[in-house]
Amino acid sequence: MTMPVTQCLIRLHEEHHQLEDYQGGVPRWCSGCGDNAILTAVQRLCRDEGLAPERTVFVSGIGCSSRFPHYMKTYGFHGIHGRAFPIAQGVKMARPDLAVFVNTGDGDCCSIGAAHWIHAIRYNMNLTAILHDNQVYGLTKKQASPTSPIGTKSNTTPRGSYLQALNPLTVTLGVTNVSFVAQAVDWIPELLYDIVRKAYLHRGFSFVRILQRCPEWLPKQFEPWLHDPGKTLLLTHRDGLAVPPALARTYRNQVEHDPTDLDRAREIASSTDPIPVGILYHNPAVPCYEDVHGVGEVRTAEQVRRGLEAEFDKVTVWPQGGDGARAAA
Amino acid sequence: MDTVARFDEQRLFHSTGRGHGAGLDPVDGLGLRPAPLAGYRDLARLRYDFPLVLVAAGPAGGEVRSLSAVIDGVLREVAPRGLEGERLRRHVLRLEREIRALAAGGTRSTLGELWTQASQRLASPQDPSVQQVLSGIGDKLDLDGWVVDCDGGMPADVVTHLWQAAQRRKGASFRRAVDRLVVRLSDILRAAFDRSAAGRQPDTLRATLGGAYRDAFDFGALSKLLVRNVPQDELAPARRQRIEWARDVLQSQPFHVDERLPAPPGAPAQLAFRFTDCASAVEAYRARLPRLAEVVKAIAIAELEADGRYVEAKDDPFFAHFDESALSPEDLALFPDYLVCIPAGENDAPRNAGLMDMLSSGLPVKVLVETTDLVEEAAAGTGHFAFGVRAARLANTATGLGGVYVVQAAASNLYAMRERIGRAFEHRGAGLLSVYVGTGAPAVLPPYLLCAAAMESRAFPAFAYDPHAGTTQAARFVLADNPQPEADWPVAPLDYADEAMQRVRQEVPFTVADFLLCDRRYAPHFARVPRERWNDAMVPADEWLALDAKRAADRVPYVLAVDGDDVLQRVVVDAKLMQAVVCTRTFWHRLQEQGGIHNSHAAILVARERAQWEAAAKAAQAAVQGAPAAQPSGAAVPQEAAAAPAAGDAPAPDAPARDPDVAWIETARCPSCNECQTINDRMFKYDANKQAYIADLKAGTYRQLVEAAESCQVAIIHPGKPWNPDEPGLDELLERAKPFR
Ligand SMILES: Cc1ncc(C[n+]2csc(CCOP(=O)(O)OP(=O)(O)O)c2C)c(N)n1
Ligand code: SF4
Ligand code: SF4
Ligand SMILES: [Mg+2]
Repeated sequence: MTMPVTQCLIRLHEEHHQLEDYQGGVPRWCSGCGDNAILTAVQRLCRDEGLAPERTVFVSGIGCSSRFPHYMKTYGFHGIHGRAFPIAQGVKMARPDLAVFVNTGDGDCCSIGAAHWIHAIRYNMNLTAILHDNQVYGLTKKQASPTSPIGTKSNTTPRGSYLQALNPLTVTLGVTNVSFVAQAVDWIPELLYDIVRKAYLHRGFSFVRILQRCPEWLPKQFEPWLHDPGKTLLLTHRDGLAVPPALARTYRNQVEHDPTDLDRAREIASSTDPIPVGILYHNPAVPCYEDVHGVGEVRTAEQVRRGLEAEFDKVTVWPQGGDGARAAA
Repeated sequence: MDTVARFDEQRLFHSTGRGHGAGLDPVDGLGLRPAPLAGYRDLARLRYDFPLVLVAAGPAGGEVRSLSAVIDGVLREVAPRGLEGERLRRHVLRLEREIRALAAGGTRSTLGELWTQASQRLASPQDPSVQQVLSGIGDKLDLDGWVVDCDGGMPADVVTHLWQAAQRRKGASFRRAVDRLVVRLSDILRAAFDRSAAGRQPDTLRATLGGAYRDAFDFGALSKLLVRNVPQDELAPARRQRIEWARDVLQSQPFHVDERLPAPPGAPAQLAFRFTDCASAVEAYRARLPRLAEVVKAIAIAELEADGRYVEAKDDPFFAHFDESALSPEDLALFPDYLVCIPAGENDAPRNAGLMDMLSSGLPVKVLVETTDLVEEAAAGTGHFAFGVRAARLANTATGLGGVYVVQAAASNLYAMRERIGRAFEHRGAGLLSVYVGTGAPAVLPPYLLCAAAMESRAFPAFAYDPHAGTTQAARFVLADNPQPEADWPVAPLDYADEAMQRVRQEVPFTVADFLLCDRRYAPHFARVPRERWNDAMVPADEWLALDAKRAADRVPYVLAVDGDDVLQRVVVDAKLMQAVVCTRTFWHRLQEQGGIHNSHAAILVARERAQWEAAAKAAQAAVQGAPAAQPSGAAVPQEAAAAPAAGDAPAPDAPARDPDVAWIETARCPSCNECQTINDRMFKYDANKQAYIADLKAGTYRQLVEAAESCQVAIIHPGKPWNPDEPGLDELLERAKPFR
């Protein structure tokens, strides 16, 4: 419920933000790092959608990409490795009125955080998840990640990695309750922006995998795709991407894809060359967890306190002879 | 010859209403009823919409269900297919009949109660298991509520029940929102307290720590440490006052009170919102308006404060003058709807004189008006009849007001129209529910059948008007709840056996004459004609209406009826009553037009368009025949248009050629990697989208430009030619620049 009066007054005093208003600390990423492009796209999104900085939260795990919240002048939570999703879900659960984003790396999401990732998809809470996939552990100086293509030489796989890479798109598309899946590349900023925006506008768990260059450890990784636009397949659709004409001149390899078609989405998602870019799947009808689960209850400070006490009591080590006997019983 | 003489008698009766006698029997006392109603003699033995269960609790709480639907639900649950299931099914259906008979006999009780009573009545000494089985099934019922039959009190009960359910829903979401605001305001106050000197006193600190380690701390010392440099109160006095005021107003709002909770001492009493006359509702509404405005103001302030968006310079003056005049219909819609159920017979009471004013002023009030009798003589004293004119005038006027949600229905139809009625309570603004209950007529039928007959015969048609449903009248005005709304009269097949005991099927209309046959006051206008006097000059009433005046004068209209033994009878109708039939049909036609059926304007338009189209087609044909080498019509398409490719297939045009000597950046493709600015941040800058462009070429050297082009990950920097021909090492640089030209 928002009173018409309130809406009217808020509109009256509406603040308009510039890109710089969302700029937090100076990024410590290596120069040339693809994370910069993602940061710009997200800052543009915040500005264009008028997201109030005090009502926006970025949650991340650990990694180069997970430093993202530091560079946004909004609320943020730099979490622990692999646990960005549950933290974000908790934030959303307690404050459904906030816009909540998740920034995670391929190691953070697909390796140590894989279990949380799968369940975050299934819970379908209204979050925008951005997977910065540079196909390597960047922060810890070049170890193979689950998404490193087979044969990737790294500090942990000096003779080249042995396993086929895991495909985050097909995995996501295979999980119950999936509702939005898209792929972008950091080096086509216009489409990156458009895709992140569509993800944000989807009500539900939107998963965007962004292929991100790490010039520090894998400088040649995406070179063939940078130099040959024909190796990128743009997915266009009335309800998906609209490719600006100037871009269409460069990227002529396009196919119309209906984002409600899950089977076709899985087929397209499994292609690594050409790289598909666009909205793979979109189903706004999947219910959000926060809508089906009773989060409507109002929690007073007192209730929160009692709940926390009860939780803490479970793990409290009671001093000998104290109230311990009671608690342990 | 005999036939002619008989017809003259019939014609005389038709035109004068006199001459009952030989071969024209008075109908009073014959126990006739319209033939289409022959099958509905013992309602208690039929499964139909009534009685209703006003479901009180459980997942279906607030709904209105028919007893039969409840029983079907139970049977689906408990009666397996097969022999055993069949036995159970028979018992339960007998129980249903028993409950129906109890309700029809005037027993007012809950379903659970009636179930028990009915199963006791069915208990037989031979088979004691029956009662056991039935009460066992009764225990499985997951709902309960009052059972109401189609009688005088039913409409008010049903409407009140649906209204209460809507208020409960509204109240729950209102309280949730308000409670959340109270918590958020309290959080602000609490956080300020925690950070204030008062919040860091030893006792307060002690209270924040769980029991176990309390003694391990020196809270006095801790307090001394923490109190340093904290503000007295980080909330400015005006803000604190505002937040506390809003919180207090919200906590004590009396509009939506949770009646499930025991009222804490000092809690506001639940206000009443249901009234039995219009004046009391208006008085209560006006008296409460200032308080309501205060709550709206408190909510708005709380919402702004909770979001940290309250701007004193702008918002203080606004709220200083906030009173009831600032309220919008959207604000009012959050609060309970008023319900006025005017008791039957009190429509003209002085305290209801303000009904139309109340509706037209858009008050959030829904009014139930009941019509007990449709028969009124036209006021002008012409002796002609008019049916339901007052109710029709009321509903029509309300529809004409624009913003009023209107439902007109016969009581028999309330179950079928329950969703429409329920929707009235979602409508913000006024609503009128006009219901025919049929209890005022000396009728030969039970109220349910009489009401159904009134609706079937168009004497009291059902309609609904939802001012917010779409932009066209056709979308807002719905006639679909009537049987066969496109027809003048609903027509249904009637099966009977003829003298030779052969099955005959006949399509029989149900006109208002049939309806009036059920009302003893109209008996003088009907005469039964014995079978041996039936003749070809007698025509069914609906067909008679379609005749021209001359032919009509040679015929007499009749309706089909059955007597107490279900023997088919013909009953001729006199002219005066037929006039009433014509009036009813005219009024029905007007409703049809409002509902977009047989719209006369549309018909005129269609006729005109068709005439034009036919004329054009004729002219075209004439021209084709005149022209020696006529082309097939398809060839009229201009050749160029046919040859033009579809827009979607057109290849993207190539970009305009750039001067390769001029330095530039493909800004739209820049992924903001910072490389170029690290080399020279005056030469390269970001635009509003944080994408790089050359801001000042002369702020740096050609060498820097080439280096930037080389380090740009996406190779979008094009160095062009050097601006300074004297820069050293140009030859080598120009060579390096080549791949980026
Ligand atoms: C529990 C735990 N295990 C391991 C680490 C070490 N660690 C830090 S970052 C990282 C991998 C990050 O890779 P990715 O998520 O792809 O982020 P990137 O740096 O590539 O953006 C690892 C394993 C850790 N910080 N915590
Ligand atoms: S190591 Fe790679 S991913 Fe990390 S900041 Fe540097 S370039 Fe970016
Ligand atoms: S080096 Fe290229 S990609 Fe990087 S900021 Fe400059 S123009 Fe953009
Ligand atoms: Mg990585």
